Amino acid sequence: MSLETITAGSGPPVDPDIGMGHDLMAYERREKTIHNIKISIVWIALFILLGLFLLALDFDPKYIFQHFEFVLAGAGLTIGISVVSIAIAAVLALLGALGRLSRNSIAQGISGFYVSLIRGTPLLIQIFIIYLGLPQIGNQFRILGYPGLANLFTLTAIQSGVLALSVNYGAYMTEIFRAGIQSIHHGQNEAAAAIGMSRNQTLRRVILPQAIRIIIPDIGNQFIAMQKDSSLVSFMGVWEITYRANRLARVDSKFMEMFLLAAFMYWILTIVSSWLEGRLERRMARAYER
Amino acid sequence: MSASHIIEVENLHKWFGMLHVLKGISFAVHEREVLVIIGRSGSGKSTLLRCLNFLETPSAGIITVSGDSIECIPGKKIKQSDILKLRLDTGMVFQEFNLFPHKTVIDNVIEGLVTVKKMPRKQALTVGEKYLMKVGMLEKCDVHPIKLSGGQKQRVAIARALAMEPKVMLFDEPTSALDPELIGEVLDVMKQLALEGTTMVVVTHEMGFANDVADRIIYVDLGKIVEIGTPEQIFFHPEDERTRIFLEPIRKVQHV
Repeated sequence: MSLETITAGSGPPVDPDIGMGHDLMAYERREKTIHNIKISIVWIALFILLGLFLLALDFDPKYIFQHFEFVLAGAGLTIGISVVSIAIAAVLALLGALGRLSRNSIAQGISGFYVSLIRGTPLLIQIFIIYLGLPQIGNQFRILGYPGLANLFTLTAIQSGVLALSVNYGAYMTEIFRAGIQSIHHGQNEAAAAIGMSRNQTLRRVILPQAIRIIIPDIGNQFIAMQKDSSLVSFMGVWEITYRANRLARVDSKFMEMFLLAAFMYWILTIVSSWLEGRLERRMARAYER
Repeated sequence: MSASHIIEVENLHKWFGMLHVLKGISFAVHEREVLVIIGRSGSGKSTLLRCLNFLETPSAGIITVSGDSIECIPGKKIKQSDILKLRLDTGMVFQEFNLFPHKTVIDNVIEGLVTVKKMPRKQALTVGEKYLMKVGMLEKCDVHPIKLSGGQKQRVAIARALAMEPKVMLFDEPTSALDPELIGEVLDVMKQLALEGTTMVVVTHEMGFANDVADRIIYVDLGKIVEIGTPEQIFFHPEDERTRIFLEPIRKVQHV
């Protein structure tokens, strides 16, 4: 057989054993599908068990349906507070990470202190300090005759919540940003330096774009955690999901119904968030696909 | 300094902690010269090259590139602006390519033009395409580095350095990370540059390349220059016994 007969027609020659490859692929696909179906069955079984357990208790599903909308109305605030807070936290975290990696002793000192202090104290206490403690400082300024400054220290419940969540998550995310920046190979710094780029230009155009891609899953994780921690602002009477559920639960003594409903809503929120994060992750991976 | 010298190095020392890596090195690179630095692993040859554009800060000594001198004295801080100026006169090619993986080939090449030289993007693209053409990579203009072979990556890295139009090109073992069949295409580009009169300082283990292309060869051992000479001298009539002992087994393998 000459070479011509093998390569006859268009395209590269066909592997005579190509069927083997197809069979293997089909086998792997089948295995994977069966595995996924089994996992789904386990989930469904767990849902049914949970449902039976609740029905066995004195559980009132009708109450949930009646008040679903009332609690759902708080989802906007929950999402809003979380989105604004994660954005501010990311800015704080970037500054914190740059401080930690800086050669400047003042910047390094400040950022180290920030991370240590904020990570070392409970979020709920931070919320109380900002919401209930700061106005005391404001009062001092009022007495001294600076009403403008006084107002600055007296924050609304939502402002306090956003500030506390931002500052708190900023501290945790400082470490994420720092690790992300440090994970970029030093050759990238050197290549940028060799073409004359300054440290700032290198950071902005070479290091951060690569670091952010790496830390997107971690930021997504923090965002999910924050959505749930935002329930702590209910302590200040912000009408978000937890506050609304809690209010009804107490009025009608429907604790299980209302808290399960709230829990379920947070769950749905986090599922949507992690789906969005996954999309973003894949989008940012495009440059790295062979 | 002599007008025909692009680089002058005077009494260069480099310490890593208590390790004395470079022990008082002096030499000059002439305009349009190809200077090849050879030596064992750990001899300090890469460190020497990296001191020329301050990727390593020399512990002591004077580096002069294109008339601008930077004097290093232990304990003295060197101005970042002086270093940046010096780096504009030098282009560097790394063993590991170090392309920016998040940028396309053309964006890698024009990055320095746009951010450092503040050239308008359109003009930068013209310059970038010219140098990609030179290294034979123009058709890969819009792909990301991950889609390239090692040899292709290194050619793009050479174009990125050339695009800044430096006075001298520094090569730090440019073929050491490549599969054997890809070394040729990179060496061909470098030979072409040498023929065009590009001033080059090359750290390499490719003795064939050194023999064919180098005007002078420096043999470095234990942080000192053992011998400087033409390829003819270094390969065939070394004055120093250590040079001969280093080269003998390599020449057998690489057929120089």
